[in-house]
Amino acid sequence: MHKVVVRDLEKRYDAVLAAQGVSFEIDDGEIFGLLGPNGSGKTTTLECVIGLRQPDAGHIEVCGMDARQHPTAVKEKIGAVLQTIALQDKITPREALELFASFYTRTAAASALLQRFALTEKADAPFDSLSAGQRQRLAVALAFVNNPELIFLDEPTSGLDPQSRRDLHAEIVRMKRDGHTVLLTTHNIDEAEQLCDRIAIIDSGRIIASGPPRDLIAASTSAQSVLLRTAPPLAIESLAGIPGIDDLMYENATITFRTKTPAPTLSALMQIVSELEVEVLELHARKAKLEDVFLALTSEESQ
Amino acid sequence: MHAALQQLRISLTLHYRNKMALIYSYLFPLIFLLAFYVLYRYERVVLARHMGELLTVSVLGGACFGLPTTMVSERERGVWRRYRLAPIATSMLVLSVIAARYLILVTAGLLQLAVALAMGMPMPQHPFDLWIVFTFVSFAFIGLGLVMAMMADNVPAVQALGQCIFLPMLIIGGIAVPIATLPDWAQHLSQFFPGRYAVQALQACILGPGLGNTGFELLALVIIGTGGTIAGAKMFRWDAQQRFARRSGKAWVSVALMSWVVVGVLAESRGYTPAAARSSEERPAPTTAATAPPPQPSVPAPSSPSASTQERSAIPPVLTLSEAEKKAASGGATGARGISNPRATAPKDKPAAEAVPSEKPSAEKPPANSVTLPHPTPPSWQAVTVADIERDLVFDRLPSDSGIVTPIARDEEEPDPDTADHLRFIQENLPSWQPGKVADPVQRVRNMLYVAAVPDVQQQPIERFAAQAVFYQLQQDIPKDQLIKVLYWIALHPTDGDDKAVGDLWALRFTSDPVDLEQTRERAAIYGVKLLGRLLGKLPRGGS
Repeated sequence: MHKVVVRDLEKRYDAVLAAQGVSFEIDDGEIFGLLGPNGSGKTTTLECVIGLRQPDAGHIEVCGMDARQHPTAVKEKIGAVLQTIALQDKITPREALELFASFYTRTAAASALLQRFALTEKADAPFDSLSAGQRQRLAVALAFVNNPELIFLDEPTSGLDPQSRRDLHAEIVRMKRDGHTVLLTTHNIDEAEQLCDRIAIIDSGRIIASGPPRDLIAASTSAQSVLLRTAPPLAIESLAGIPGIDDLMYENATITFRTKTPAPTLSALMQIVSELEVEVLELHARKAKLEDVFLALTSEESQ
Repeated sequence: MHAALQQLRISLTLHYRNKMALIYSYLFPLIFLLAFYVLYRYERVVLARHMGELLTVSVLGGACFGLPTTMVSERERGVWRRYRLAPIATSMLVLSVIAARYLILVTAGLLQLAVALAMGMPMPQHPFDLWIVFTFVSFAFIGLGLVMAMMADNVPAVQALGQCIFLPMLIIGGIAVPIATLPDWAQHLSQFFPGRYAVQALQACILGPGLGNTGFELLALVIIGTGGTIAGAKMFRWDAQQRFARRSGKAWVSVALMSWVVVGVLAESRGYTPAAARSSEERPAPTTAATAPPPQPSVPAPSSPSASTQERSAIPPVLTLSEAEKKAASGGATGARGISNPRATAPKDKPAAEAVPSEKPSAEKPPANSVTLPHPTPPSWQAVTVADIERDLVFDRLPSDSGIVTPIARDEEEPDPDTADHLRFIQENLPSWQPGKVADPVQRVRNMLYVAAVPDVQQQPIERFAAQAVFYQLQQDIPKDQLIKVLYWIALHPTDGDDKAVGDLWALRFTSDPVDLEQTRERAAIYGVKLLGRLLGKLPRGGS
């Protein structure tokens, strides 16, 4: 069953089309990632889905309801963490949780949320005295005040230190384990690859690819990356006759290139190394990562 | 409902945690109060006369600066955007914000009143009516504040917009500068501002007849408040990025502005004139009570054995009402308004307003509205003795000659060239000024004292020199012993006689702007006592 269905979503800001023909579905209980560079339209898409922005066109269905027709009913079932963590300076976590809980018909106890998100000690401290990590945990706790079926996270780890980021990743995994459906926007490829069951890569307001990260990588036509370091260093001119080399670079006595024909290219390379009698210090050849897929797709799109 | 109450509770809690908000909401109004108190030389009743202005300034500041600043700063940082994710209605949030602001304004107003009462200001005549009017005033200005909150993109824009509203409202809107002292065009313009109606309606409940006479003022406040609230609600934006620049947003501003225009046009078409600026023609007939009742008692009643010794002042401390006023107070007379207290006091150096049918005293019976002292008073001005003066008047509590109230120039003081020209004209024409030639010596002196009192009330540059010229002329025209008796009589009967002479001041090249006649009579009486003190050698001749 789909928890979210988006069809042909369009949103325009004056002359800029921030979302054009955006379509995707999110299944019950999965973590879905919207991956894209800054300004690609992922936040606009998310905000249209949660009702913060009015799309110009398109159909949005959340938890089986038309989100544009029944925004209030939809809001009862969703929780969201926006990019900016916005609360008044002097409000305390306990007050904020009680206030936001009063807006919903179905609520979780503030004390339980404070405990779950490790905020009990700071429950009565003003918001402006909390660390970035504590603020982010409070923002996530606020998304849970109504026991939502669906959680929306807009770049939730940006600006967090590594420990806080790791804690939040663990919390997102827990959300899935607890049966929540999650829509996550991020420009962090590793985060998307690590957390998401499925992703949609979005660029210039369009979804240019979608599917599980492994499938995207497998389907990619991207070349393999090769790195070679020798002693003494090879002159770059010595590789001129090797077929299938793209993006050849020489930096700090290290040669890197990409190739779509790894077997003949590496064979020819090893032959030259042998003829020149240089010592191989380091040689790597690796398959494309999500980052390579992402970069390849987004650069194609921009061209 | 639970959500609205929670929001209200949090709004108030956060307000009281914010030091700057507390300073703006509570401290500034008190600073204004203290400034007025000091400015008007610690005069308790004068404070009461300005309480409408002070309360209006508090509401204006709280509603037109405090409210939009809070809303815009929360919107700027994204708090309202976060609220928007919740399944709550815009109207619920806006109403809770309005309710919170109203409670803040009410508490600020109560604090201001409490401190004023502690300073000795008399209790407002109609406290319940005052609360009702305060609510109307709050509604009008909160509506305005909502519009400002929706127009401004950020907090600095609120400050700029606020100044655009605040300063004109203070200066020509009838809040800080009395309407009567404004030029004609500004008086007409002020009819388009809510401040004027706020001050008038509040003041009517503090010293005046209460709600009964404020129908138009309340209507004006409702129209302006409704226009602002509708426009504010229609322009509401959750997000700083939601552009106000859209045409539809701008169009709703015109609804708020239109409400001001409607009020102004209505006022113009009705020939609306506020009480403070009413001319003598509009005042009640002499047989009725004065337009504004005297303040409530703040000194012991005449029966108190210590009253005569403890409360002697430049102006007799205890006044009683006429039979007509007593009837009016019990609902038995028409024309008399707002007098519910059968006994009232004048301030130590201010007479209270009253009116009597005739200047001429009756030998058999004292004038209906004469001052009742706890001892016999002379039946006529001719019968006044030095003993009466010694017993009933003191001269050491008068306003300073160099102060704002009833100033008198020192002998060596030189006016500026413009003032000197006007003064020369007065000196040349005062001897032949018709009201200064009437047969009744009391009315004649009273008329001459108006020449000093009116520029004093209007705070004209010539005020201190006009008083000097009047003193000189009175001493030229009237024998000293007679003048002493008449001045004593005027001090004890400040609201007797008529004030038609005020309308003849144009002949001395004074402006024909309306003036508060009650205040004019008070100032005339104080000038009278000052001259009396000089004649008796109790005050220095060259000024204090």
